[in-house]
Amino acid sequence: MTRAFEYDLLSKCDVSNRKEDSCVLLSHGAEDEVVDPKKYLEESCKPKCVKPLLEYQACVKRIQGDDSGHKHCTGQYFDYWHCIDKCVAPKLFAKLK
Amino acid sequence: MVGGGVIQQILRRKLHSPSLATPVRSWFSSKTAHVDTGSSGVRAFALLGAGVTGLLSFSTVASADEAEHGLACPDYPWPHDGILSSYDHASIRRGHQVYQQVCASCHSMSLISYRDLVGVAYTEEEAKAMAAEIEVVDGPNDEGEMFTRPGKLSDRLPQPYANESAARFANGGAYPPDLSLITKARHNGQNYVFALLTGYRDPPAGISIREGLHYNPYFPGGAIAMPKMLNDEAVEYEDGVPATEAQMGKDVVSFLSWAAEPEMEERKLMGFKWIFLLSLALLQAAYYRRLKWSVLKSRKLVLDVVN
Repeated sequence: MTRAFEYDLLSKCDVSNRKEDSCVLLSHGAEDEVVDPKKYLEESCKPKCVKPLLEYQACVKRIQGDDSGHKHCTGQYFDYWHCIDKCVAPKLFAKLK
Repeated sequence: MVGGGVIQQILRRKLHSPSLATPVRSWFSSKTAHVDTGSSGVRAFALLGAGVTGLLSFSTVASADEAEHGLACPDYPWPHDGILSSYDHASIRRGHQVYQQVCASCHSMSLISYRDLVGVAYTEEEAKAMAAEIEVVDGPNDEGEMFTRPGKLSDRLPQPYANESAARFANGGAYPPDLSLITKARHNGQNYVFALLTGYRDPPAGISIREGLHYNPYFPGGAIAMPKMLNDEAVEYEDGVPATEAQMGKDVVSFLSWAAEPEMEERKLMGFKWIFLLSLALLQAAYYRRLKWSVLKSRKLVLDVVN
């Protein structure tokens, strides 16, 4: 990337607004620090989906000792990720070009 | 599971309260009174058994269905979704770059020609240059032999494998589908493809995927042959946009949406124009109908009684 382009990116990073989101994506100054916005949003949506996450973890604990190979936590896993997806989807594209 | 329990309760209530019987049922029971007293116990047992098996089948069916259908994908706000919204052509251009560098090694797009890209993602010169990079089998020539030549605008995008068998052989038995129509060929295609490409995760506890397959919750069954292909910085975009996994996913799905529905923009313009014109025509027709019928609707009928 050329210098001019980097300046252009940084100028979009509104420090005064303290909007960390836009800065995280656009401050590409340090070479390999690209943050995937989807991963970032999935992390930030975790507090909203604590209940299904706890259900999943409880399930994992329940089937820990199982040796039959038939028990699995797909249901709880799906519930958790469905909650995360619903939270991430409306916000993701705003962070992409 | 809940449904089975509720049905069981309803059945139990119906059995234990004969006073609630409808007139029809009491008529039946009076006709066959001698049979009822003996068989009521058997009937109760049979209904209970049906309820229990229903309950059990509910539980097994529910767990098999979830992974079978795959995790439902969310709806993303695509920029070309609105009634008058066009494609993001810069995104289509980037998406074609992703396709070429990441996907074309396994997936064909045999319905798209280089000339289709002109005016959509590339200029004519750029498209010609891209086409010229590939070798195409042509012929027969005057001597009856097939020969190879550099590609032209009229050529289709190159296929990675000669045929389906070769594709399956090179991919452990799985066939990488042609992507020309993929967003129309899958339910909720655009969202599904995006969710699939960016949704590779660790499997849930208790699920193990065999060697050669990978876990993807959105894929029906959960075990997909394609590994995770979109990784951050896998492609360096010409326009300098940071190539994160989500960015590449969005761009490639924009490209695939265009490939499946290149007529979308013209269709939306046509739709808007004709819906507008037809609504004017509707107003005109309504006025004209009321005008013509006004003669009859404003009739007066006089009943003249002779005394």
